[in-house]
Amino acid sequence: MLHTKVIDVKERKLSISLAENFISSSDFGASIFFSGTVRNQNNNKSVVGITYDSHDALVIKSFEEIYNETNQKLKIKDKAVFIEHAKGFLNLGEISIIIAVACKHRDEAYVLSRYIIEEIKKRSPIWKKEHYLNNESDWLKGNPIVHEKD
Amino acid sequence: MKVIIELFGASRDFSDQNLLELDVENDSTTKDVRNKILNYLDINFKGNENFIKIVNSSVFCSNDNIISDNYKITNNEKIGIIPPIGGG
Repeated sequence: MLHTKVIDVKERKLSISLAENFISSSDFGASIFFSGTVRNQNNNKSVVGITYDSHDALVIKSFEEIYNETNQKLKIKDKAVFIEHAKGFLNLGEISIIIAVACKHRDEAYVLSRYIIEEIKKRSPIWKKEHYLNNESDWLKGNPIVHEKD
Repeated sequence: MKVIIELFGASRDFSDQNLLELDVENDSTTKDVRNKILNYLDINFKGNENFIKIVNSSVFCSNDNIISDNYKITNNEKIGIIPPIGGG
């Protein structure tokens, strides 16, 4: 069971309660809620906010691929997964991503949650532009997507 | 023929319109488009080194699929440039 969405923050904020409603089931004995939030420091600079950019279709596709491959790679078949990522400008402390997972047992839930966030970092086309106290802003460098050049 | 390049992430700084429309030769590939973008940056941004690095480390996509450097572009095709990523 999977829910994925890229949320334009002009429309609504990300909400843990929506994630809780989605994964809640008596089939599962362990739930983990991961949220990423905007922090006030990065690389010794005072951050006041972050603008998130996204290729929405490719992001959703990557979320679905990551979810589907956990059947084989992690051998976790019974699960509920809720993934939402924000798009647009976020102030300090606001939520940029929610990954909520529910599994039968805690071992699976911890592994699944960690796997999903690490794969999103590597594979989902999302970009951050940091805004600083001195009114400057900068796109963060990020990691290239691996592709064939020939 | 023409190709329309949708800009994402750091490449949005290449234009204030969020896309580039470039003339390319018939039968051009993604690799040719990459070179055309580098040429555009040379003319419009005096070969800004950061921008060049972004282009050289980007991949491209079409119809929501990542495409290789030898992918053949069609006339008026819209492709996206995907600079190095980092969400979360």
